[in-house]
Amino acid sequence: MHKRASGFLLNFLATVAAISLVLSSCAFGQTATPASKPTLRTADGHPDFNGLWGPDRTFIYNIESTLKKGETLPLQPWAEKLTKERVSKDDPEANCLPAGVPRMAPYPWKILQQPKLVVFLFEGNIHTYRQIFMDGRGHPEDPDPTWYGHSIGKWDGDTLVVDTVGFNDKFWFDFAGHPHTEKLHVTERYRRPDYSHLEFEVVIDDPGAYTRPFTMYGHAPLLENSEIMEYICNENNQDVSHIVGKESRK
Amino acid sequence: MNAKLSPAVLFAPVLMAAIISASLLMPAPAFAHHSFEAEYDSNKPITISGVVTKFEWTNPHARFYVDVKDEQGNVINWNLELASPNALVHQGWKRTSLKVGDRVTVDAWLAKDGSRFANAKSVVLADGTKVGAASSGDTGKQ
Repeated sequence: MHKRASGFLLNFLATVAAISLVLSSCAFGQTATPASKPTLRTADGHPDFNGLWGPDRTFIYNIESTLKKGETLPLQPWAEKLTKERVSKDDPEANCLPAGVPRMAPYPWKILQQPKLVVFLFEGNIHTYRQIFMDGRGHPEDPDPTWYGHSIGKWDGDTLVVDTVGFNDKFWFDFAGHPHTEKLHVTERYRRPDYSHLEFEVVIDDPGAYTRPFTMYGHAPLLENSEIMEYICNENNQDVSHIVGKESRK
Repeated sequence: MNAKLSPAVLFAPVLMAAIISASLLMPAPAFAHHSFEAEYDSNKPITISGVVTKFEWTNPHARFYVDVKDEQGNVINWNLELASPNALVHQGWKRTSLKVGDRVTVDAWLAKDGSRFANAKSVVLADGTKVGAASSGDTGKQ
């Protein structure tokens, strides 16, 4: 009797797990391949990140949800005050300005990987790109502050390490309005643990707005049978005049 | 009826239906470049029936406009937000899914500012097909 009961339980749990996998893979309405195949590699032996990837939604709403469980954002008092004061109609992204780094938008993005250059192509928001120089160059001495900064990359084993400085202070980290300053220094570590997934850790070091560096953790699913489409945000952006509230999601 | 089927297998369709129903009932933010809750009220779902006057297959959102007659017979034109074309394509939409003159029924969430602006959750198209329209909780054709 116990055996039959435990057999039923195992069958039941396996069924729940299988259904959950199917449903979660449909979350973006696209086909995410089950994690069965090994990581692809390029001719030079590095993991191959080429492909179309989905967004990590925790990098959209409130970046506090990307931290380790129980951790909170180490905001300086002025940055905490500003976060509370900001209202969503002023979010640059709502106004069709770039998401910046490491904010994500709910659209697919593509990695083009060459030995000396890695490019991220974003469908939105906005329809733009990041260049990550892998040719050994350093950062410029006094980079112009920009939305995506100046990125240089190198391999640490199977991990792509991207170091970025030279940001402007205009973009928000999320819908919640978390700020940063031009002192922002971002270190991203990307891995492809299997064929279907990217994992990344992002260290945010901004002594202008936060009391200590903190680490965000993210995942991106491989999107197959899909493509980036044209996304011209300014074409028909009617939302801003109707936005009256603020994101409160934790 | 095959008596050898395990109870879990027999129960699977019921469980699947329950999970899908639950996923459709979950609070569902749109695929959007802006905060959903800053613009729309998830506590104010509405159903709109009327005639399509315009369909814009554009970014950041596709939109369509529907003439709706109120109780006094006045015609009010509603502006309805959909997801981006990319997200819509993966839910079965095409730029020709709506045509001027189509009669449609739309489940949507009202804008917080009180205007005739709403975020479509699903649309019953002219051919009777119900299509998911915006929410990340939707799984496409229902």
